[in-house]
Amino acid sequence: MPNTFLVVDDSKLHHQMYKVVFSRGALAGNTVYYAMNGREGYDRLAAHPELTLVFLDLNMPEMNGLEVLERRRSEKLHLHVPIVLVTTESTAADEARGRAAGAWDYLRKPFQPADVERLVSRALAHAASRSA
Amino acid sequence: MTTEENAFGELIQDYIVECLPLAEQVGDAFVQLERRWQEGDAGDELLAPLKGRLHTIKGNSAMMGLDSPQSVAHALEDVCALLHADPARRNDEAAALLIRGSGLLIELVRTAVQKPNPRPAAQFVKVVRTFLDRRRSGRGATKRTGLLLERRRTDRPSPEQVAEAGDSSSSVVRVDFRRLDAMLEVLGEGMIEQAAVAELYRGLARKMGVTNELADLDRALTSLQKTLKRLEGIVMETRLLPVSAVFDRFPRLVRELAQARQKRVQVVTSGGDIPLDKAVLDRLSEPLVHLITNSVVHGIESADERGRGGKPAEGTLGLRASSESGRVVIRLSDDGRGLDDSKILAKARSLGLEIPADTAQLHSLIFLPGFSTADRVSSLAGRGIGLDVVANTVHELGGTIEVESRPGRGVTFTLNLPLTLAILRSLIVEVDRERYAVPLSHVAATVRNEVDMIHQVNQKGVALWRGDLIHVSDGGALLGTGSASSFRRFYVVISMGNRRRGILVDRLIGHQDIVVKSLDPTLGRPEVISGTTILGDGKVACILDTARILDQRMSA
Amino acid sequence: MSATPARSGADALLQFADELQQQSSSAEAPSVGPELHLVTFALDREEFGIPIGQVREVTRVTEITRVPQARRHVRGVTNLRGRILAVVEIRSRMGLSPAEITPRSRVVVVGIHDRTLGILVDGVSQVVKLPVSTVAPAPEEVLSASADYITGVARWNSRLIILLDLEKLLLLPD
Repeated sequence: MPNTFLVVDDSKLHHQMYKVVFSRGALAGNTVYYAMNGREGYDRLAAHPELTLVFLDLNMPEMNGLEVLERRRSEKLHLHVPIVLVTTESTAADEARGRAAGAWDYLRKPFQPADVERLVSRALAHAASRSA
Repeated sequence: MTTEENAFGELIQDYIVECLPLAEQVGDAFVQLERRWQEGDAGDELLAPLKGRLHTIKGNSAMMGLDSPQSVAHALEDVCALLHADPARRNDEAAALLIRGSGLLIELVRTAVQKPNPRPAAQFVKVVRTFLDRRRSGRGATKRTGLLLERRRTDRPSPEQVAEAGDSSSSVVRVDFRRLDAMLEVLGEGMIEQAAVAELYRGLARKMGVTNELADLDRALTSLQKTLKRLEGIVMETRLLPVSAVFDRFPRLVRELAQARQKRVQVVTSGGDIPLDKAVLDRLSEPLVHLITNSVVHGIESADERGRGGKPAEGTLGLRASSESGRVVIRLSDDGRGLDDSKILAKARSLGLEIPADTAQLHSLIFLPGFSTADRVSSLAGRGIGLDVVANTVHELGGTIEVESRPGRGVTFTLNLPLTLAILRSLIVEVDRERYAVPLSHVAATVRNEVDMIHQVNQKGVALWRGDLIHVSDGGALLGTGSASSFRRFYVVISMGNRRRGILVDRLIGHQDIVVKSLDPTLGRPEVISGTTILGDGKVACILDTARILDQRMSA
Repeated sequence: MSATPARSGADALLQFADELQQQSSSAEAPSVGPELHLVTFALDREEFGIPIGQVREVTRVTEITRVPQARRHVRGVTNLRGRILAVVEIRSRMGLSPAEITPRSRVVVVGIHDRTLGILVDGVSQVVKLPVSTVAPAPEEVLSASADYITGVARWNSRLIILLDLEKLLLLPD
């Protein structure tokens, strides 16, 4: 059964980049959902408890990545789904704040397909160890 | 890395499709902002969304391995952040920089398929760096400049320094006001240090008795204090501006307000030469604008109504400044309807307030919160702007405000302000081991308390002083020292205008010139304290807000 | 563990600390990665941490002058080399009794936005650097007991450091 992923990013270009990443090598064949903003992303998360990993952009207008995480935390929505916060820059303090809000890990831009692959493997391993 | 090696290289057209419109939007916004800033409009709502757009362009460029547009977008983001935080720098120079950068960014994005020359981007980033660094080293960068013309310097002065120095034939120099603040602060520290040395002297004198050497020291200290006071006088003078600096704005404001309501109002000013400390003046303009707005919008009637009342069709707003016993008095008057006593009474009743005995006290109720009696909301003047805010500001400045009104004849507001905020002659008193500074200009007398001098009437203390019956409050109760009121040895009579009040204290420590430090906002809004200061022994003391204490109907 | 009076917040924290210690077999090795640079201080027996970037200095406690009618939780003002510094009693802000000033007490001078103020603490432990990966969200019971100024906890070298959001902590009610 293929794994499912969610990409939340307000840049269409980034959606296409993720498509490139998920179209080749080890990641090919998986199902990927795309959301254009925080609100839509949150709804998608709610609809898919089976998600293996979520890529959540930090800087989006209206509802940014951190706000999505905080809403998820307060509403206790699918807390088992690992969420990676994607950002161009972040200080250690920003990262601490993201983690305290529930981010499972960070992905810094610019990233390469290999970075995504690595995160996906870790997420799968994490899921496996939890259900074991 | 180049776009060929980049994993996402094939998406280059998509990159251009997404980023080019964003870059163009940013460029358009910068052009609009330039015009807005020239008109004096801050343009916040235009500036805010640009950061997100630049951030997106930066992130996308980074992903595509395109260093030039990434660095330019980053630089523009930094400039926008600076301008967002520091509206003072939103000017032509900043606009030109932004427009230049966005033009470059658009080009870089448009030609992203080709390998661009990295130099224009690198150069732009350098220019931005200089622009940003100049801000951060603000005062530091100009430490070579003195206030006065320095002809000794052999290196060429920067354009800023020349502008500051003025041209050599003029006897006027332009000085950043912050530097005057700095001067005052350092002077203040000097005065604190002088006081500290004087304390040490007193300690020595007590221990050793006064020897010849100590007597010399005493003279030297007194002389130093006099010199500092003279310096203080000079620094104070440099901070003074004529009130016309503020008055001059008003005719235009009044014209706009009046025209919007089909009224005719003229403004008459006098005493524009009267000088006030710039810091006081700056804070005064807002309350004056409120008062003037109220007068024009609610006070002065329409031409018809005025005609029917036998008044000239054109209303008159008077702004008069004068100097009276070391204070500045500003009178704002209109010849409109005057206050509506019945409305004030009704409002007072609805708020559950005690109805005062005479009209003067009734009128002073309008300075209480919740007292806007205008019944219509208008776009320009809002809901009859709260006079309590005005009164608060005036009090914070150490002043008082009073109102006089005659039905059908108009209203006059009288603001009584100290010349300066910064240095205060004060009387230091002690209550329950806590020390407080009382502005000497408000101290009418200090009286030794005797048993039975103070009588209780309606649970309030009163005493006979110079033929008048005055209220006397317990200092401990007033200041919440937490101890039960015991017999206190003195009371200080504070007065302003025709109001007087006594405050019971334990000790009178002495006179001191203190540097007033305004209340830290962290402290909130204490009502009996107007500021803090550092005494000769290095400890902090609070300054009594005598104006407010006299203004309020205190219960203790 | 510590003899602090029963507070659901503190008890929950200690229990959580125990649980964390038992979960020592975590799948991921601690990464070297980015680090948090903190100043930690003690209140009662708990250890708290704030970002070093917000700390201007730490001084001994000199006389604090009470300011009548100041906001709640403001202990008063003090002279810091000629500048007047407001000192906040964070103990009372956090529901503890006011501090008894001992030789170990300190004033941590912090800067938030454009304001500088001091917070009164029972003792300053040290400056620590810990990997960001040691940060976890604060457990539910702690959060509800202590409001939103606790942003998370860091478990490190068998210490439990409670991370504070100074802005939220010092946004004082009137």
